[in-house]
Amino acid sequence: MLSEKHLSFLIDNLIWIILIAVFTFFATQSEHFLTERNISNILTAAAVLGVLVVGQTFVLISGNFDLSTESTMGLAALLGLWLIVPAAAPTFGGGIFLNPFFAIGVVLLTGAAIGYAVGCLITFGRMHNFIVTLAVLLIIRGFMLAFSEGAPVNGFNNPSADVFYWLGHQKAFFIPGVGNITVAVVATGLLFLVVHFILQNHKFGRELYAIGGNRKAAEQLGINANRRIRQVYMISGLLAALAGWMLAGRVVSIQSNLGEGFIFTVFAGAVIGGVSLQGGRGTMLGALGGVLLLSTIDRGLNLMHVSVFWVKVIQGLIILVAMFLDAQRVRLREISLSVSTKTFRAKSESET
Amino acid sequence: MNYLSMKNITKHFGAISALQGVDFNIKAGEVVGLMGDNGAGKSTLMKIIAGNLRPSTGEISVQGKQAVFSNPLDARRLGIEIVYQDLALCDNLTAAANVFLGRELRSGFGIFHRLKHTAMNERAADLFKELKSETRPKDLVERMSGGQRQAVALARTRLSDPKLVLLDEPTAAISVRQVAEVLARIAQLRNTGHAVILVSHRMGDVFEVCDRVVVLRRGRKIADKPIRQSSPEEVTGLITGAIEAV
Repeated sequence: MLSEKHLSFLIDNLIWIILIAVFTFFATQSEHFLTERNISNILTAAAVLGVLVVGQTFVLISGNFDLSTESTMGLAALLGLWLIVPAAAPTFGGGIFLNPFFAIGVVLLTGAAIGYAVGCLITFGRMHNFIVTLAVLLIIRGFMLAFSEGAPVNGFNNPSADVFYWLGHQKAFFIPGVGNITVAVVATGLLFLVVHFILQNHKFGRELYAIGGNRKAAEQLGINANRRIRQVYMISGLLAALAGWMLAGRVVSIQSNLGEGFIFTVFAGAVIGGVSLQGGRGTMLGALGGVLLLSTIDRGLNLMHVSVFWVKVIQGLIILVAMFLDAQRVRLREISLSVSTKTFRAKSESET
Repeated sequence: MNYLSMKNITKHFGAISALQGVDFNIKAGEVVGLMGDNGAGKSTLMKIIAGNLRPSTGEISVQGKQAVFSNPLDARRLGIEIVYQDLALCDNLTAAANVFLGRELRSGFGIFHRLKHTAMNERAADLFKELKSETRPKDLVERMSGGQRQAVALARTRLSDPKLVLLDEPTAAISVRQVAEVLARIAQLRNTGHAVILVSHRMGDVFEVCDRVVVLRRGRKIADKPIRQSSPEEVTGLITGAIEAV
């Protein structure tokens, strides 16, 4: 029989056990799975998803959610390149020839501004976060289509565009057995570490857990929940723009539908990693596990030559499994709580 | 001298008047029972004192100086602590995290800081010991009994040295033994020179520990007299409207 401590540890780290199991399964199914190239690909694909999941985890822990980040990500990539490259074919840019470093700044500020505006609509406007973020998702997507007139923006053989592509494209170093590690992977890894520290050891993180756990109590104790929620959405928008900048270096040609449907994968990554949709629960390390699991499954299916027609079905099933696991986690925690509380009370009563 | 003095306090929520021209005073070392039916304005008055709500009109002074509370932290700075009826606890956080919520101990400067988990756990453990509670600082609040949850909420009021403690229905959801402990704590607070405002529906509790009783009805103060000059029957009549005012 598992002790309460061990059961709690198992519940909190379920994601890593599943990740090892899935990793082992694919390793036995494809001889190419454990190659340096494939592992490097898993990490690189996880980088963009990881950045979006970090932003979403902040929002989820505060008891909110943000559907708009996939559009903000797409807009950031499109806008950044559009500001840099010539207007004529084949690049279809804006012909503004903005310095790529300024373009990066504009992109990040745009993301943060969109996020802050969403936060203001939810807090000042007292509007429901689902409706607001869904509306913003559609508005930005429509704006992207109108703005680019449906044509992709490209950065072919453009030195300025190459600077913009650097984050998503540049290799940082090589690790034997793991392969090439890109700058994007390093940046995402650092981001997870910093945000993990903030959530566990900073007043800001503590206040987010409190707001997500019991917003009324947090406000009664003097925490300005509305201000924190606006900040959280701003961070989410900023990180979505960062993800867009990162993604631009991987896809090179930016379509106006870039990132469409990606939000479901982002939610799946966070929830599989133990971040609760109810708010107040979850850790950044768990979310990292969720991101790595999804990326592993994606590459594994690819190597097993699973038809693209079935990939959507499998992605849907993964989201269902994530929700099932979340429900089981809550159930197991409740069982663990009732057992431990009874034991603790019995012990306290026998002592008194 | 009055520790807290409130003059002609009114509070409107749209067309609804929750408080109308209420005067309220309390001295150090005094326990005042605040009574009234649901909707009488007790909670609104408590929230104004605790800094959760700003009055529509009226003046508040603390130790003779005019005070404006724009949030609960302003009230805390002036030595006013509150234990809410629902205890204002976050179930997903530990007992120590709840005790220090909004007042976390930190090392570093400004936004570049780190929470001092060990120091907060140790201080919370000391506070629980003082309250004679078996609560453990690292336990999640969701694992706790009613008495332990209340100990967490009470421990908050002892973080600083408060001058005025507001208790909103502190005996509503606890066992008979724990009620006696809470009443003993209120008496102890009075003996150590603290002012206490007790909101309660339990007449017995109010007449056991309070020095004075204030009754509100439909947003107006209709009685404010020493407890020895009143009786449970009179207070009940004032609350229900059977007695108009005294």
